[in-house]
Amino acid sequence: MIFLTLVFSTFREAIAKKIFIGFFAISTLIILVFLFLINVDSIEGMVNMVETSGEEGIKQLVIGFQVVMINISYLLIITFCFISVSSFIPSMLEKGNIDLLLSKPVSRAEIIFAKFLGGVLLIFVSLVYLIGFVWLILSSKSGFWHVPFLYSIFWLTLSFAIIYALIIFIGLISQSTILSIIVSLFLVFIVCPILFLREDTIFSLVNNEAAKFIVNFFYYVLPKPTDINQITTNMITGEPVKSYMPVFSSVLFMLAALSASIFYFKKKDY
Amino acid sequence: MKVITTKNLTKEYSTKNFSKDKILALNNFSFEVESGEIFGLLGPNGAGKTTLIKILLGITHPTNGEIKIFDKEITNEAYKKKVGYLPENHKYPNYLTGEQVLHYFGMLAGMSKTDVKKKADEYLNLVDMEKWRKTKIKKYSKGMLQRLGLAQSMLNNPELIFLDEPTDGVDPIGRKEIRDILNNLQQEGKTIFLNSHLLSEVELVCDRVAILNKGVLVKTGRVDEITAVSDNYVFQTSDIEEALINKLFGNYKATIIDKNEFSFNTASVAELNKLIDFVRQNGILIHGISREKNTLENMFINLIGSQN
Repeated sequence: MIFLTLVFSTFREAIAKKIFIGFFAISTLIILVFLFLINVDSIEGMVNMVETSGEEGIKQLVIGFQVVMINISYLLIITFCFISVSSFIPSMLEKGNIDLLLSKPVSRAEIIFAKFLGGVLLIFVSLVYLIGFVWLILSSKSGFWHVPFLYSIFWLTLSFAIIYALIIFIGLISQSTILSIIVSLFLVFIVCPILFLREDTIFSLVNNEAAKFIVNFFYYVLPKPTDINQITTNMITGEPVKSYMPVFSSVLFMLAALSASIFYFKKKDY
Repeated sequence: MKVITTKNLTKEYSTKNFSKDKILALNNFSFEVESGEIFGLLGPNGAGKTTLIKILLGITHPTNGEIKIFDKEITNEAYKKKVGYLPENHKYPNYLTGEQVLHYFGMLAGMSKTDVKKKADEYLNLVDMEKWRKTKIKKYSKGMLQRLGLAQSMLNNPELIFLDEPTDGVDPIGRKEIRDILNNLQQEGKTIFLNSHLLSEVELVCDRVAILNKGVLVKTGRVDEITAVSDNYVFQTSDIEEALINKLFGNYKATIIDKNEFSFNTASVAELNKLIDFVRQNGILIHGISREKNTLENMFINLIGSQN
């Protein structure tokens, strides 16, 4: 019960800080834009055109929409989530708040795990709303109920969870919301895409074996949300997934970040 | 039964992260608190009082030493179910109402929903915050937050309550009410560990005190023993002529305070009466004689002042 109270408190904090409202506003806006788009004449015309090319054409169009949707979710929603949840740990560590929390019969490991789970559930619920609604709209409009699109809820949540573990760790060490946001966004939108495309970008410029080793080292050690996003896209489009290594190594990164957070939090004096 | 026991408790802090320079916040601190007593912890700023409370609550880790709470060594968080805590400058999530604060921290203390509701009603009433229960705490004054904090610390019916500056920001009437609450808690058999700068209040409610200075225990004892009456008598008299002063105070080791007031220190009643006779024989009228009482504040100032 104590653990659930902590998890629920994360939800309550998200509601109080208008994170939920913000998320639902953005999601609803995306859904409305989506509704508008699939009803405009040009799209209707496109639908009519592909209808003449048969069921396969409709499927391709729906899948195309879904892939666009995943990328929008990845860019907008995940960014919004990172910014929103980055304050959870620093606000928990504020003097007068952390003292009281640690005086309760709850272990420090449970506190970290509850904060983590609370944040992840928050994003999961939000993604169910966004992805679920888009899926319902697209499926009812096209008659093509493409279930793999719903899997993206899990994959996007996982991508978030991996980076959120890092945000928790940075938040614990620095007690800074801004630093947590900067590091997570820098990692997700600059470092990870560059490392994902390292063969086309860095390796085409650098031919040094030592440099390649260092770049590869960072690629394998750091989380790989870009790769996971690619795996999600492949699953929706039905293309084969070359390797699940990015998922496993990212989950390992997440576990390492959480373990380091718990270790640090247990040792720290407040 | 001993509720708190510490032996050679030591806490060192690094002055900066990864620095080898250390500050000794507690130095071989050993003391005991008995069940059912109100124990006051006194000391100047930076003496190590809050550090001690935080160590006892597992918020800060000791560098060395032993701690027993409820006669058991602290090995996990279970003992905290029987502990209440009001931190200094506590900060509750300001988006919660008073009622929600109690609900949240009650649940964190391991209480059931039904118990939390029942106790929240009871304690909000006790601290006179009933009418503010639905108001967000960001609208509360400092005194109201203290009252709510006190209710929070008592909510889980703890056997041991740590109160760090409980009357901070509370008006005199509120302080009296808090003192009454503490006395009632003591009658219910609770042990209270009080940390306060207000020595007059500590004197009014505490059974025993410990005085801490620079991390070292400098004195511990019962308040009534520490503040026992002294052997100093203050005389209020008619004006004493200048010529008489030397004569009067040459024979007796008295200290002049004013031309119509002096003090005299003696443990002998016979000697006191001899002085009274002497004063009267010299035509000085005695308006009053009072025996001085040591206050905790006087004792504290003398003790800490002599050490610094």
